[in-house]
Amino acid sequence: MGNIQILLRQHVGAPCAPIVKAGDEVKKGTLIATPTGLGANIFSSVYGVVEEVKEDRIIIKPDAEQKDEFVPIEEGSKLDMVKAAGVVGMGGAGFPTGVKLGTDLDGGYILINAAECEPGLKHNIMQIENECDKVIRGVKYCMEISNAAKAIFAIKKKNENAVKTLKEALKDEAAISIHLLPDIYPMGEERAVVRETLGIELEPTQLPAAAKSIVINVETLARVAEAIDERKPSFSKNLTVIGKIKGGNKPHVFMDVPVGTSVGDLIEMAGGLDGEPGEIVMGGPFTGKATTLDAPITKTTGGIIPTIEFPDLHGATMGVLVCACGGDETRMRDIATKMNSKVVSVARCKQAAEMKSGALKCERPGNCPGQVKNSMQFKKDKCEYIIIGNCSDCSNTVMGSAPKMGLKVFHQTDHIMRTIGHPLYRYLRVSKKVDQDI
Amino acid sequence: MSITAETCKEHAKDPAVLCCRAEAGITIGPENLEDPAIFDDLVDSGLLKLDGCLTIEEVLGAKLLKTCDSLSPLTADVVEGAKAPAAAEEVVEEVAPVAAPVNATTSVAGGMLKIHIGEGKDIDIQLPMGIGGGVAEVVEVPAAEGTAAVAAPVAAAPVAQEEKVIRSLTRKHFKVTEVKRGPETKFDGTVLYIREGIEEEAAASQKLVNSLKIDIITPENYHTYSETIMDVQPIATKEGDAEIGTGVTRVLDGVVMVVSGTDANGVQIGEFGSSEGYLDENIMWGRPGCPEKGEIFIKTEVIIKEGTNMERPGPLAAHTATDVITQEIREALKKLDESLVVDTEEFTQVRRPGKKKVVIVKEIMGQGAMHDNLILPVEPVGILGGKPNVDLGNVPVMTSPLEVLDGCIHALTCIGPASKEMSRHYWREPLVLETLHDEEVDLCGVLFVGSPQINAEKFYVSKRVGMMVEALDVDGAFVTTEGFGNNHIDFASHHEQIGMRGVPVVGMSFCAVQGALVVGNKYMTHMVDNNKSESGIENEVLGCNTLCHEDAIRALAMLKAAMAGEDVKKAEKKWNPNVKSTNIELIGNTRGAAVELVANEQSLPMSQKRKEKYD
Repeated sequence: MGNIQILLRQHVGAPCAPIVKAGDEVKKGTLIATPTGLGANIFSSVYGVVEEVKEDRIIIKPDAEQKDEFVPIEEGSKLDMVKAAGVVGMGGAGFPTGVKLGTDLDGGYILINAAECEPGLKHNIMQIENECDKVIRGVKYCMEISNAAKAIFAIKKKNENAVKTLKEALKDEAAISIHLLPDIYPMGEERAVVRETLGIELEPTQLPAAAKSIVINVETLARVAEAIDERKPSFSKNLTVIGKIKGGNKPHVFMDVPVGTSVGDLIEMAGGLDGEPGEIVMGGPFTGKATTLDAPITKTTGGIIPTIEFPDLHGATMGVLVCACGGDETRMRDIATKMNSKVVSVARCKQAAEMKSGALKCERPGNCPGQVKNSMQFKKDKCEYIIIGNCSDCSNTVMGSAPKMGLKVFHQTDHIMRTIGHPLYRYLRVSKKVDQDI
Repeated sequence: MSITAETCKEHAKDPAVLCCRAEAGITIGPENLEDPAIFDDLVDSGLLKLDGCLTIEEVLGAKLLKTCDSLSPLTADVVEGAKAPAAAEEVVEEVAPVAAPVNATTSVAGGMLKIHIGEGKDIDIQLPMGIGGGVAEVVEVPAAEGTAAVAAPVAAAPVAQEEKVIRSLTRKHFKVTEVKRGPETKFDGTVLYIREGIEEEAAASQKLVNSLKIDIITPENYHTYSETIMDVQPIATKEGDAEIGTGVTRVLDGVVMVVSGTDANGVQIGEFGSSEGYLDENIMWGRPGCPEKGEIFIKTEVIIKEGTNMERPGPLAAHTATDVITQEIREALKKLDESLVVDTEEFTQVRRPGKKKVVIVKEIMGQGAMHDNLILPVEPVGILGGKPNVDLGNVPVMTSPLEVLDGCIHALTCIGPASKEMSRHYWREPLVLETLHDEEVDLCGVLFVGSPQINAEKFYVSKRVGMMVEALDVDGAFVTTEGFGNNHIDFASHHEQIGMRGVPVVGMSFCAVQGALVVGNKYMTHMVDNNKSESGIENEVLGCNTLCHEDAIRALAMLKAAMAGEDVKKAEKKWNPNVKSTNIELIGNTRGAAVELVANEQSLPMSQKRKEKYD
């Protein structure tokens, strides 16, 4: 195992300030950095010695032998323990859970995001199948802390085993129900979860609290339960390694990986790279970004995906359709460059609303606003190819016009979908409505 | 792209096409529909077929029976519960002679009589007796498509106010049948003699003028080559001490001054779109700013110092030198005996209190390189006393309609002769005449505003226009412009400045193909295209695409509609000459007499230049 690198920015908010120095001995659960504003505590994920404290990270040389015990957090109220444990949203957003749960929902809803919508990732569903009780305990704690009367699991119907397990586990829980989702992207977007489960369409600027609800990821709930039941600090992460890996493109799920472990180490644990990858994606196919072997994972890393090589377009002209559901313009341009194409036109989906932070949010996630105008722009700008990052519905709409105009369509996830053997995002063949009978 | 409920209302009668895949069973709403604004392109490229497509108003709220993909036209077989269209009207532009208003409601509230007409066709609303305060106002809604909403002020409107005559202007016409040269400038009956040797004096009066030549062009020799025509001017003078716009003006019939010229290197003044060539091939006869066929031209050919053809002093010197000759004719004209008057015209400037008050804003060129306008010279279209609008900073200057018709603008136009307004244009300005004589409106004045070179200055002057229009408290405004391109920036800004103050505004410009607007804003909703050319271009035929009577009546009808709160259909995406024809037909039908259209360049003998460059 190589060195552990713990980034000081693991979540939404300002980077944390280190409270250790080079040479300090640390244990699993030793507090090593604290928030400077909005943020969450950061702990060592291993036994070892601090080798270096850099501006953006703390580097720890782990001991050869690693015990399971950890330094427990102090006892306190449930909310205090969640805060002290440094739990953050593990679905990818990384919002400090202690802050989120501090809202009084006044009899509202805890909405459990079990959509695991990024194709290829499996660790959330696997956790429901294997650690259902822990997740449900987490749900109950959250309901108690935030004064919610009800909780709803939002899970895709295709995950039959997980749904069955949940149904069994919830048979005596009148306050907790299951809402089945269709298998389209994006269903795990926070406001999509609210819309699907409660029928309330929120504005991009609104938080779920506006619908008297909190949306919380499956793994986060397990971490909440661990913090309260085991006084365990948040220093480990569940994730899926999948892709161009020796032994095939089956998913490798790793539970409780120490935060700070390098991408390279995880790929080795999964079997090692099967030849030179086109790129290595950290995160999901839609929202992930290219990474390197020596990059460390954080509390929000969900996937590591080495991909097949990119096609070579020999400098052909490319139009980029940016939306809120896929990569940002930088990521899209990155892929266009890796395909050896020349970006000559950039359009933005009509529903991609820009937030104050500069991030894009979809006004109606998963419901297309029409795309033909963008295709017309690309045609006008003489694009030969276009690359899109759109959701299932919008991709389908693009396919309704672009090919007829002679534009060749790539989806930003194509190379990943080919790598993991998943159908490409093009036409939509399934219904957005799903029968709720289990 | 999906549309909003508001867009749905605007496009109620346009085809309903799904913007995205929609599943069976949904209730069709605005979010499912594609924006009709882009259909033309889609149909053109074969991506969309609209046969049998229902309209937006028909499908809203109806149920979709079948899962359909994006760009599927919604036809009767896939929709359940489509609404019947509000009125049995197939083609919106077409007007049945009589159509009963549907869904008409009236209500009196808060001193306002509100009349809402769901579907309006050829409606006369008369409010005869005293409701509240007593009204005697007839609001005529010209036949038009869509919703008409007329709000007639009740309590505020005073009883039948009388027209008020502000001032009057008399034009005495003297006939000229022949122009000759002689020892002195004088009239002998209907023969005008121009003093021999006046050319040298005229040339000598201007430092920048190298030489000046006079050609008397009679109808027999219209097929004569000429350098570019810089201006066409009436020969007119004031009687006594009368100022421009009042009193008596004497004017010669059958003869006009024509200024032409080049620089010493033979470069056309305004080369880059100039009208040099055979006169009969390059003049659009009978345009307000052009000669009439049959008139004699006293044409000066002024050679100015090399390199000054694109600077303000050069062309001004050519005009000033020509005016030396015109002035001598004016002096002779002053002495002519009253018995030689062949015709007398009387113009009265009337105000019509209680009628819709309107202002005409005329954007004139003031870029300061070569195009300028002298405002309010002492003599009609003279030089002396006129202030160059460039020197005035291009700020708006208010004039009376009679000042306009009495030659208060001496125009020094530049490149692009087809869409530029010559001095004679103002003398016969159709929009001013039409609006002044229309008893349904109250024309309060004609506001000239220059079009400066720099954007910051453009916005400076257009903000003044806005303030002035605000202070005038008008119900409606026209904005006209000449030329195209750069001047459209301030043209657009004038619309914005006026429109944002809640005043309906109708714009007039040459646009068509070549002059398509380069900028726009949400207030540019009522536009009249001055184009007459066959292919919608600046064809370098003098005056071809300038504002004519047929444009003025369309603009007036449109402004009346706008002031009445009626919808005017959005322009089509691409220039379509049929829009004008349809509007003309509509107006003709309402008036009960067809509107005659002027001829275009196709009526002229084909010039070599036109053949090579344009047609």
